[in-house]
Amino acid sequence: MTGKERISRILKRRPVDRIGLFEHFWGDTQKKWAGEGHIRSDEPLEDHFGFDIQLLWPFNLIARLDFEPETIEETEQTVLQRDGNGAVLRRHKLHDATPEHVDFLVKDRAGWLEHIKPHLTADPRRINFEAYRAARQAAEKAGRFFAWSGVNVFECMHPVCGHQHMLMGMLEDPDWIRDMADTYSQLTVDLMETLFSREGPPDGVWFYEDLGFKARPFVSLDMYREFILPAHRRTLDYCKSLGLPAIMHSCGYVEPLVPGMIEAGIDCLQVIEVKAGMDLLRLHSAYRDRLSLMGGIDVRTLYTNDRAVVERELAEKIPVVKNGFGYVLHSDHSIPDQVEYETYRYFVQRGLELGTYAY
Amino acid sequence: MADLLEQIAICIERGKVNKNSPYPPDLKGQDGADELVKQALDQGIAPDDVLGKGLTVGMGRVGQKFSENKVFVPDLLMAAKAMSAGMAHLKPAFESGQAHHKGTFVIGTVQGDLHDIGKNLVAMVVEGGGWKVVDLGVDVSAEKFLAAVKKNPGAAVGLSALLTTTMVNMEKTVRLLKEQAPGTRVIVGGAPLTAEFAKKVGADGYSPDPQGAIKFLAA
Repeated sequence: MTGKERISRILKRRPVDRIGLFEHFWGDTQKKWAGEGHIRSDEPLEDHFGFDIQLLWPFNLIARLDFEPETIEETEQTVLQRDGNGAVLRRHKLHDATPEHVDFLVKDRAGWLEHIKPHLTADPRRINFEAYRAARQAAEKAGRFFAWSGVNVFECMHPVCGHQHMLMGMLEDPDWIRDMADTYSQLTVDLMETLFSREGPPDGVWFYEDLGFKARPFVSLDMYREFILPAHRRTLDYCKSLGLPAIMHSCGYVEPLVPGMIEAGIDCLQVIEVKAGMDLLRLHSAYRDRLSLMGGIDVRTLYTNDRAVVERELAEKIPVVKNGFGYVLHSDHSIPDQVEYETYRYFVQRGLELGTYAY
Repeated sequence: MADLLEQIAICIERGKVNKNSPYPPDLKGQDGADELVKQALDQGIAPDDVLGKGLTVGMGRVGQKFSENKVFVPDLLMAAKAMSAGMAHLKPAFESGQAHHKGTFVIGTVQGDLHDIGKNLVAMVVEGGGWKVVDLGVDVSAEKFLAAVKKNPGAAVGLSALLTTTMVNMEKTVRLLKEQAPGTRVIVGGAPLTAEFAKKVGADGYSPDPQGAIKFLAA
């Protein structure tokens, strides 16, 4: 069974030979493993570990496409820049991390209407056609499930105005937030139409949408239904019209939002962050007939680099979540460089052993 | 007096900033925290009472509801905005010594980590609880935390981290504070953390939410 066949079936919870396999890594991890001679620094991780999925993020949704990021301040470790959304962000130069939100040009509806919305046209320059084509061909050749990847509206809006303005806007000026969600979802659909009609559709779509943090989602289920679900539904309805299954990533604790996400049309929830309070076994018990799951293996067990600890985590979860054929092995976020190469290898090998179906 | 202080508490709890603010819709056109705190001070109510029996009561209520998942981040942010509007009127009283903070809380995200949302929420709620908050921002070195404690003797410290890759820097900070400023109480929080980790690095407390920080400081 190829990765494409396997994942296509797992997303429909139909019988497969084994659970799926995919992973995300912090950028520093491959550098470290390459330095130790385990992997080439330019070697695709999909190839090296035999992943079932290949992603490609082809869209650029920054408002002002021609804006050159303006460096405001730079130190040995960080760089402070204003980007094409008018956001001033401080990024770490030495390792991957979410940037610090320092300031935003857009703080309300007037700023949005003046600085952002007029620029959000479905300009083909927003699409990296070549990268999409190459990744699609590589996935096809390797038999992997190829997914278009990108952000959905929550992850489009907060880079423009920051979480605080966006979340307060839901209460103070709900029509502004609805307008932003509506605009970005329509833009996403328009760009997908252009890309897929020119290059051919992917096997599925993968939306990154960080809706939660420690122990709670940013918004209630009611607010999700009011502000986010209509936009999710628009993008997912379009994908479904092409027969494309949808995986949605969310960091943080989003369990209360899962019923809404299912209503919106997702087929699989990823990444099930244990340290934020997500519980893979509880989700599987509640939703195994309606939702496939990817992730939920506590990455903290991996960076003990103790095989017995990793074994316990896998043995507790994999034999349960493989039931129903809707599970893809993945950590609960990304593999950091504290995880030794051999530990990750063991995680894959043992996880797939436990996740193989006996017929 | 009690009625006015209760109205102030309700404005904080509901996130009613001022008369012109459209939220919450059922209080549209009514005075908010801005107007009511000014009225209270104009009527001669002691600043400490405005703070302790009005503003912090409201913030405590919304913080508790947040802990219980009865309200969410947008509600907490609106409460903090209302709190800020009210606190602006108390600033002269703090400067003149007529109003008093419960103490000082130094907070920051540890070195290597640029996340600030969780840290900001804790800072808002603690400030709303009547504490003076010294926010050191993000990517804060152990030495910078120590310098802030030396500048604010007796301050408690809150360390935040979002990443598994940066939470390890908490141990260095806690160690330095315990060595160089003995008696400093340190609480840690952030997505990857647990009470077990807090204990391991020598912190005095751990909380998964802002209200837990308030309880730690009150203990």
